[in-house]
Amino acid sequence: MHWTLRGLAGALVASMVVGLAACGGREKNKSGEISVAVSSFPDSLDPALAVTAEALQSLWVVYTPLLTYAHAEGAAGARIVPGLARALPRISADGTTYRLKLRKGIEYSDGRPVKASDFEHAVKRILNLESVGTPYFERIAGAGAYLRSGKARGDISGIETDDSTGAITISLDEPYGPFSNVLAMTFGALVPSDTPFENQTKRPPAGIGAYKLANVRVNRGYDLVKAPGFDIADTPKAQLDTIAVEVVKNRGRQTQSVTRNDLDYMTDPPAPDQIRSVRDRFEGKRYREFVTNSTYFFFLNHRLAPFNNKAVRQAVNYALDERALVRVFGGLLEPGCNFLPPGLAGYEKIEPCTYGDPNAPPDLARARELVKQAGAEGEQVTVYGTGEPEAKGATEYFADVLSQIGLKGSPRIIPSANYYATIGNRRTRAQAGFANYFQDFARATAFFSIVDGASISDTNSTNFGNVDDPQIDATLARADRNPSAEAVSKDYAAVDRRLLEEAHLVPYGNRKLSVFFSDRIDFDDCTAWHPVYNLDYTSLCLK
Amino acid sequence: MVDEDRHAGVAVAGVGPWRLALRRLRANRVALAFGALFAVLVALALAAPLWGDLAGTSPSRNHLSDTIVIDGQRRDVVTEDRVPIGPTWRAKYFLGADGNGRDVAVRLLYGARNSLFIGLTATLISLLLAVTLGLLAGYLRGWVDAVVSRGLDVVWAFPVLLLGIALGVALARDGLQIGPLSISGGSKWIPALIIGVVGAVYLARPLRGLVLSLREQDFVEAARAQGAGPLRIMVGELLPNLASTVLVFVPLLVANAILLEGALSFLGAGVRPPDPSWGTMIGDGVDLLTSAPHLTIVPGVMLVLTVLALNVLGDGVRDALDPRATVRPER
Repeated sequence: MHWTLRGLAGALVASMVVGLAACGGREKNKSGEISVAVSSFPDSLDPALAVTAEALQSLWVVYTPLLTYAHAEGAAGARIVPGLARALPRISADGTTYRLKLRKGIEYSDGRPVKASDFEHAVKRILNLESVGTPYFERIAGAGAYLRSGKARGDISGIETDDSTGAITISLDEPYGPFSNVLAMTFGALVPSDTPFENQTKRPPAGIGAYKLANVRVNRGYDLVKAPGFDIADTPKAQLDTIAVEVVKNRGRQTQSVTRNDLDYMTDPPAPDQIRSVRDRFEGKRYREFVTNSTYFFFLNHRLAPFNNKAVRQAVNYALDERALVRVFGGLLEPGCNFLPPGLAGYEKIEPCTYGDPNAPPDLARARELVKQAGAEGEQVTVYGTGEPEAKGATEYFADVLSQIGLKGSPRIIPSANYYATIGNRRTRAQAGFANYFQDFARATAFFSIVDGASISDTNSTNFGNVDDPQIDATLARADRNPSAEAVSKDYAAVDRRLLEEAHLVPYGNRKLSVFFSDRIDFDDCTAWHPVYNLDYTSLCLK
Repeated sequence: MVDEDRHAGVAVAGVGPWRLALRRLRANRVALAFGALFAVLVALALAAPLWGDLAGTSPSRNHLSDTIVIDGQRRDVVTEDRVPIGPTWRAKYFLGADGNGRDVAVRLLYGARNSLFIGLTATLISLLLAVTLGLLAGYLRGWVDAVVSRGLDVVWAFPVLLLGIALGVALARDGLQIGPLSISGGSKWIPALIIGVVGAVYLARPLRGLVLSLREQDFVEAARAQGAGPLRIMVGELLPNLASTVLVFVPLLVANAILLEGALSFLGAGVRPPDPSWGTMIGDGVDLLTSAPHLTIVPGVMLVLTVLALNVLGDGVRDALDPRATVRPER
């Protein structure tokens, strides 16, 4: 009996030890399927065409270009690293020739080998499809002649490729420092050479990335499925099996679904009237906010009264209350007076702000005095804005500010779909209005392109305020020849200061975005925020 | 007994149709009560500037970063989360603030002015158009009737709201320019004109039918025999006989116009910001429905009350002008 009891006790202890060991040693299954809600279907799922943040967030992990951005948070994520290329390009001394070599043995998600000549095909698609990326790739020598020839299968003389060695040589018409950034845009991601010269959103071409696109239902959703064969050094693989992206137009519904764990992630911030409760309940546990590389500002048309007068432009800067605008954005705005966002080479915080502390009341008395001195009292100003809640609120606020300083401001709200085409049309004669800019690529050049005199045009102008400052243009022309943004960061900082000193526009902050997850997502270890592409889908995993 | 005879006999025999109608209306207490409610709403709308002075603000003034002391506590008019303050029941922010820190009560009263202005103006335009078209089509018949009727059919074929939105958006940018008539895109005359034109269809058809029957009456024949021309017959003989029908339609047209204005403004095709109207106020409040329900409830209630008041009053007017109603002499 004694032995029997001892034996039983021993067996019990042994089984407990084995059981505990088994529990402790079992790997947590971090893969699986998650559901993601987007408010609208991406503008395109074709890498040659996609331009919106919704699209690029997905395409970045599906189509790896020759160069790409490091999968890292903060400033480190803005660093260009080799993608499909073995190394960063060798750039000729005159800055016009870029030499790269393709990694060996890489395959598309459908198993076909990747060829160096596929790059030229990708560029031809950009040019033929009149992609938003066309101006960037038109800098390649022969791109203009190729377009003029009208032959889709013609040759671009500035691109030389060798499929046997994987060598790619790109010649530019003239040096363009940010060209490495251009090569890191998803526009230039390699696609198979038989990909048609038409929008492939319905049947996206095979790519090389941690995920591949599947089950595309236009205007309804699509899946990102783990690409098992993807293996590129220093580029993370997918941790999840499937990310099912679904269009749910109502942000309120998205918020409720994530709150109830019926949905795993929403790409937009929670609905305005639910932000407070989400913050209160989930901040730091399932919800986090990030400052994006974006700039929010009001443009002032230099070619029209009263903003052709510097004193009036300064008055407006003095009168703006950034604290008010933070409220308009429901707290999702980082107030500031720089035009450049933090995290880019060239950003030097302007302190103290030229026109007063963004966190203090504005100087309305001084603003009124300047308007009076300029003889602009009573001048009618139409302020343009879109119907999006934040943009509409900001536009109405700004129009009221103008009225408070002696002008007569009245808002004009335009549907979002036509907004930028409307204010970018010279015939609209937009005096002032709401505008924002999210970077096309991580270099100050992208931001300054909208205040460069060269970007003024009669239609589809991106320089809404017709800013044409010879000093700025000359500085940018010089800086943009240098491939290293760090080397010319002082030039960029000088342009940033000049914009404010001359009151060329009214910058007021950088947009914050948020991530809000269900309880299933490993919030602490698997939710990396990328400065260019927002949430990094390769970082996501389950608890 | 003597009094009864005097009232029953003399009064009924000697009272004209308008006085009879007025008497019937006065006897309809419900209609009168809602008529009084409408009068109060109009008075409130007229008093908007006074309330604005009392609250120390204007309908478009933003107070996003202001604070207010309530019960000794300093509070943000709008929090950083963009949650506006609710009703304070004081002169300032009596009904709370909106997402831009604007005083809801002030905007509500100015919004009433805009809604009523558009409602009444649109109704006048509708009446003018409908009476003209109804008289021309019904009296002249022939090709004039064909053109007018088919034109009305075309407008009738469009869903009212869709037509209103299409016209509202199209005219919003550059306004309207017809000969010497020029209306800017942001003017309140644009929604008034759109609603007036759309509303005219609903009145023009029944009026045409009425004129078709009236033109065969003996008094028209008599006028014609006396040498009266078409214009004189239409204006002098037919128009007075349309008056009661038109009058019945007026409150209902105003109510419909205010509703349509609310819908168009809600959808961004009516009153232009920052001018308030009940429709734009509801539209602005939708995004904050959970955290600041007063933004949608308050203008919504005003809209419902106004339309209800006009509809009940309209019913009363119709009952009063209906010749089939039983005349009850005063006792």
